[in-house]
Amino acid sequence: MAGNENGPVLQFAAFQSSVDEGFWHGLSSLKLNKLKTDESPISITGFYAPCSNPQVSSHLTLLTESLPTEPSDGLPTETSHLKKFNFYYWFAFPALVLDPPATLVNLRPASQWFTLQEAESVSACCNEWRMSSLTADVPFFLVSISSNSHATIRSLKDFKACQQDGHKILFAFYDPCHLPNNPGWPLRNFLAFISARWNIKKVQFLCYRENHGFADLGLSLIGEALVQPSQAWQDQQHVPNAVGWELNKGKRIPRCINLSTSMDPTSCGFESK
Amino acid sequence: MVLSQKLHEAFKGTVERITNPRTVSAFKEKGVLSVNEFVIAGDNLGFLSAEKTRMNEYKLMIGQDSFIPSLEEEWVISYMIFELTTHFRFVYFFVRESGDSNKRKSYLPADKQFLITRNVPCLRRVASIQEEYEAAGGEILLDDDDNDGWLATHGQPKDTKGHEEENVPSMETLEISKKNTIQSISSHFGNEEEEDIPDMEEFEEPDNVIESDPATLQPTYLVAHEPDDDNILRTRTYDVSITYDKYYQTPRVWLTGYDESRMLLEPELVLEDVSQDHARKTVTIEDHPHIPGKHASVHPCKHAAVMKKLIEPLIAGGVEPQVDKYLFLFLKFVATVIPTIEYDYTMDFDLGGSSST
Repeated sequence: MAGNENGPVLQFAAFQSSVDEGFWHGLSSLKLNKLKTDESPISITGFYAPCSNPQVSSHLTLLTESLPTEPSDGLPTETSHLKKFNFYYWFAFPALVLDPPATLVNLRPASQWFTLQEAESVSACCNEWRMSSLTADVPFFLVSISSNSHATIRSLKDFKACQQDGHKILFAFYDPCHLPNNPGWPLRNFLAFISARWNIKKVQFLCYRENHGFADLGLSLIGEALVQPSQAWQDQQHVPNAVGWELNKGKRIPRCINLSTSMDPTSCGFESK
Repeated sequence: MVLSQKLHEAFKGTVERITNPRTVSAFKEKGVLSVNEFVIAGDNLGFLSAEKTRMNEYKLMIGQDSFIPSLEEEWVISYMIFELTTHFRFVYFFVRESGDSNKRKSYLPADKQFLITRNVPCLRRVASIQEEYEAAGGEILLDDDDNDGWLATHGQPKDTKGHEEENVPSMETLEISKKNTIQSISSHFGNEEEEDIPDMEEFEEPDNVIESDPATLQPTYLVAHEPDDDNILRTRTYDVSITYDKYYQTPRVWLTGYDESRMLLEPELVLEDVSQDHARKTVTIEDHPHIPGKHASVHPCKHAAVMKKLIEPLIAGGVEPQVDKYLFLFLKFVATVIPTIEYDYTMDFDLGGSSST
């Protein structure tokens, strides 16, 4: 693994996509009935949740409701005019490339990093954050721990205030990844943001993960990354490099899904077996 | 089978259209749920939907041999494999969804059409655990005289024969393959490589998009090698959804499978993750009422009878069963149909009402 005197390069586990069948049905309907020959881009919304199982990562998911327009607004879902029922698609999860790359000082389960008291308090406030409809869908936040081991969650905009309090501050994010030695993809741009916004060189981060819906500090990770400010980034005109095309079985090719069995009215009904 | 199933579906659909949904509670008498009760039971299950704490502690009250029910019909049901002495803890994380708006059922609230839990891991095929299970003593048939076909756990170990004696790997022997390219089974919904794949080289990428990047972790996959070397990947995931079946007046469980790269599995392949006693019998492949496409489903025709059998001994024991716990019990027996799909998270469980504690 490449690295330097500051430790190994911090490697991020790539996001993985998952498209619900309903999304394709909705998209076909939208294309046939509304967009027609219009090829201008449409915006869609993907969803992801913190990793909630020690064995599988969460995916970035597209559902029927990912489409901007409710395909149901009086639009029929008739899709029989599509000749084939193949959809080719290719996800990109764009991430800025730090130059030089961030390096990892240490990374370990959060349960080993916190004291018992802190762990209890962090779990409690994370669960509260996740339960509240106001904050459940805010994937980046600060965990601020006071000297008496009391943890609170603050939003990113309160960073300066937290700093003044003299609390221990962790940059936390919903981590879709389940791996014990790597943080997930959202941390990449988060680190770039932290570096660019506050010029912090040593970032302590919390990969927030759950088990069956609750904060799991054994699965969650706490790490410390060193981010070297890039000279090039000082230049207003500079465009940083980006990565993030999703691989298909290790290759740079699109994915294909064939939904003729569920969409094609001519291949109807039950398979005769 | 095919024709009769089709006819039955047509009949069922007609009945559903012309009859009003059940409004009077009969879950204690018949094991069925009214529409409202389905919504209530779902509220109790869907942790995101309620202010209720997610970790209600339930104590198991069911603890007698008489709890093992019997059924009249010849129907292979091994649902009821309860450990009778220990306490269970169940937690299920289902969320409410409204599904395809064109498929919305008017008798259910628009935002509470069905329940779903996504991305549930299924790490191995059911055939492997069944063989391990049999080797460890397996199931014994109870009440054989009546031909009821109920199975209980922990019989005597028996010689495994009949099936091909394969050396089925256990979880301990799974290899973590470091290969970047994976050996995939054909997931029929993808991999149509004979089709013309558009040439993505034609896309003009912005200058700043680079291919090689030291900070991207190279993916690895969990790969298992079956004895016959067909390289079945174990890391399938499932979306498990619960709908209300108006005809049978019970909940109904649906399975949507995905391979390791989250490509849809053909429903036929889903049957590999169903207890082989139930594949193609209790588990059928049909149109999902709220999600497009064909999905595997645990057929609900015997659900009410099973639920009634589960509830009766409770009532006999002086416990007033609560309808909002219906789905907990329901999911417990569904778990025996799909033993490798790990949606069942243990939690103490109490079917009864306030009389218990």
